[in-house]
Amino acid sequence: MYRFAHIADCHLGANREPELRQLEVEAFKKSIDTCISRGVDFIIISGDIFHSNLPDMWVVNEAVRKMRDAVDKGIPIYVVYGSHDYSPTGTSIIDILDSAGLVKRIGAGEVKDGKLFLKFVEDPKTKAKLTGISARKLGIEKEYYKILNRELLEAETGFKIFVFHTMLSELKPADLAKTDSIPVSYLPVGFNYYAGGHPHKNIVENFKNYPYIVYPGPLFAKDSKDFEEAAKDVKRGFYIVDFDSQIINIEFIEVKVCDYYFEEYDASGKSPAQIMNDLTERMKKADLTNKIVLLKLSGELASGKTSDIDFTTIRRIIMDQGALHVRINRYALTSKEYASIRVKGGDVHEIEEKIFEENIRSVKVSNPKLTSPEGVKMAVNLLKALRDPPKINESKEDYFNRIRSQALKILGLPEG
Amino acid sequence: MDVVGSVIGGSIGKIILRQKSGERIELGDLLVAEEAGGLVIMQVYDLAYGSQIPLTNIEMIAGLRLEGYGERSDLNLIDAELRHYVIAFVKAVLRVENGVPRIPKNLPSFLSSLRRIKPEDLSFLTKPAKPIYVGNLRSGSKVLGLPIYLDGPEVLTHHVIIPATTGRGKSNLVKVMLWSLMDQDSFGVLVLDSHDEYYGRHGRGLKDHPDADDRLVYYTSTTPPSGGFSLIIDLESIKPFHFNGIAEFSDAQSDAIYMYNTSFKEKWIEKILKNELPEGAENKIKPGTLAVLQRRLEHFLGVRCTEENKLEFFNSVFSDNKGQSTVNDIVDSLEEGKIVIIDTSRISDITELLIGVIIVSEVFQRYQKYKYTGELDSKPVISIVIEEAPRVIGEDVLDRGDNIYSTVAREGRKFKVGLMAITQLTSVIPGPILANMNTKIILGNEMAAERNAIIAFAPQDLSDDSQTIASLDKGEAIISSNFTKFAIPVKIPLFEEYIKDKLAKTSSKDIAYL
Repeated sequence: MYRFAHIADCHLGANREPELRQLEVEAFKKSIDTCISRGVDFIIISGDIFHSNLPDMWVVNEAVRKMRDAVDKGIPIYVVYGSHDYSPTGTSIIDILDSAGLVKRIGAGEVKDGKLFLKFVEDPKTKAKLTGISARKLGIEKEYYKILNRELLEAETGFKIFVFHTMLSELKPADLAKTDSIPVSYLPVGFNYYAGGHPHKNIVENFKNYPYIVYPGPLFAKDSKDFEEAAKDVKRGFYIVDFDSQIINIEFIEVKVCDYYFEEYDASGKSPAQIMNDLTERMKKADLTNKIVLLKLSGELASGKTSDIDFTTIRRIIMDQGALHVRINRYALTSKEYASIRVKGGDVHEIEEKIFEENIRSVKVSNPKLTSPEGVKMAVNLLKALRDPPKINESKEDYFNRIRSQALKILGLPEG
Repeated sequence: MDVVGSVIGGSIGKIILRQKSGERIELGDLLVAEEAGGLVIMQVYDLAYGSQIPLTNIEMIAGLRLEGYGERSDLNLIDAELRHYVIAFVKAVLRVENGVPRIPKNLPSFLSSLRRIKPEDLSFLTKPAKPIYVGNLRSGSKVLGLPIYLDGPEVLTHHVIIPATTGRGKSNLVKVMLWSLMDQDSFGVLVLDSHDEYYGRHGRGLKDHPDADDRLVYYTSTTPPSGGFSLIIDLESIKPFHFNGIAEFSDAQSDAIYMYNTSFKEKWIEKILKNELPEGAENKIKPGTLAVLQRRLEHFLGVRCTEENKLEFFNSVFSDNKGQSTVNDIVDSLEEGKIVIIDTSRISDITELLIGVIIVSEVFQRYQKYKYTGELDSKPVISIVIEEAPRVIGEDVLDRGDNIYSTVAREGRKFKVGLMAITQLTSVIPGPILANMNTKIILGNEMAAERNAIIAFAPQDLSDDSQTIASLDKGEAIISSNFTKFAIPVKIPLFEEYIKDKLAKTSSKDIAYL
């Protein structure tokens, strides 16, 4: 019997705050340590090891050291690009790790006569055969699935694993309904295990001819939605899978690196002063020591503006209680004094997308594409690209050129 | 002018022609009388013999021939072409003056000569901006090289009904129409395909359209082809009102459902099946009521609760952990102007009806919202193709109360949502709904009762066309619509022939792969 680990969506470097970065790395290290201690034969990371294609060097250094531990013990790490650590314009950190022999990128192939032919990588010890398709920006990987030559992949014998970083429509959770996805039928049939990444949900499902489609979900958290789910006790972790010629057992390994405190506060009909008093009282009573505190406010204020609530003070009170980190979500908090657009959304990106959707109709442009759903997508991607901070040691000029190049690509305009 | 006949009498709506010898006028033929400043277009609806010789003499002539006297004596009539002829009964369908079509309000000139119609006579039939192709103009059984297009947005929002008996080409017609809609992105069409015949799993179909990758979405309860979706809907997508018109619940059962839905929201079905009572409902819901509800939901949804208190599904369509965004995805696709085919050929009637109701309700709710928010103008028209339409808009179904389809039939046009109802039994659809179906694409039908129902609610006066409808061959149709100037006879091309030169080219373009 052999054993492998299936990890996904580590998003190392996603959080800016040092305490959260530390926890991201800790979750990753803990996972690799568990893999080593449990004696896995190989590790699959199905995309988004890092949150960007050129992440912070401290994060890379920490991750590389831990991966080296595994590789030195004879545990190969097989990876595909995720949607975050893939670079459409240049080299990704994944390529560097691949070149350095720390990871083995799978899914090599070529397009011939309009068909994509993928090659298998055979794990030397277990003889498991791995192939897959990496994520690409803007759903380009969908094109690859469309032209994928399935017949050859399906005809291959042995224990086979297909690694991918794409949401499957039939398994798409309701709260991710607007996320791009592909149908299950695009995956080649007859593999023993489909190692997925991308949705931040823990999913184990099967369909006819697809015995195990597995998404482990993230190891830690990259945004408010992830934090909120973790705080609501949604388990984070990865899978350890036992197999011989078939899957024997799959086991979820929880990875917990901190405790959470979550408070939902309905501010409807209350004044900023009342809210301050309520929250102060609640936070002072709560045990917040070494916890990530999530405060989620919603509702329409009876009077005043949302900015009248002194969130700096609330934040300070929480930190004074010994909290590790505090996140205050007030996107659903509104005031009568503003003719604001109300949108509901689970995280910043979803809310931004909805705000674009709501506003784009009133924008007068000559190109109708810009006011279509495609325009919304373009605006969201542009915002995301423009928000990307400079890398450490990146010159101003390089930064400018990188952002400019990404923006032009998103807008579909030629360089120069 | 190649004269085929001459007006010899009659009245408005029943003009009598004498056929020229050597010509063969057919039922449904379109004939033209040229007049100063324009022309009158007439259509044949009946034919009869005419003769200058008294009937008793004709009977004698026939007898002599039949008994063998004709071979020994010359019994041929002198000037037979003058003495015997065919009388055609026609109605004036259109008067065209200076290229402008009008409803005829006077008779063509007495003894005026008639010729066959030519495509140029109908130059006013232009191609609309957002067309639906339905076939080529037909005169009798002769096909003219004039493609007939309907105005897509008008026709689809005001509902279409396609009545015909089996084997007359309903599915072929719908495939041809959908193919032309796939050339554009102005229409979202939901096809509840109970025979799995539109996608083309086993032969040509809409999947062969060059834009199928972008414009066609296929869901099936069986193993989907590459790119197709498994039809799986999460139980939480089902609302109590979806059962309206599908299943009848007693007052006690309805009250129980209301309580469950109020307490458990979208988990109401799961909680009923798992026997978990809402808070405070212990004395309000009798165990017997709950047991019956459980049984009925098990039957409708193909699910039961196991002894381990887990839901076990014995049909592949509903699930408690898959298909959470299926309804949303389908309606999104429709909003993007795509054709969505739901293959329901392998699922039970009740499941098929329920799926239709769930999706159509979501479409209708969204479009109602868009009207309210002022976004409706930017949305494509959505048409819902329902086969065997009486299952959802039949008299006996609607006697149990309104459902989403009857609501769409009544109010859909205000929200850019329309029905395309296909049926063999028009007579069981209530009159008010038939009257709301403003376009009728009538295929052949032998049943007089069905023809009468169609004729009674046709936008043009077809009261004399019962025989013509009965005589329509496979692929021949009459389009009677509020959006056409007259009831247009068409010949629908065979789908496979029609698409022959329009098929998707196999792409050999190599895209970069990294």
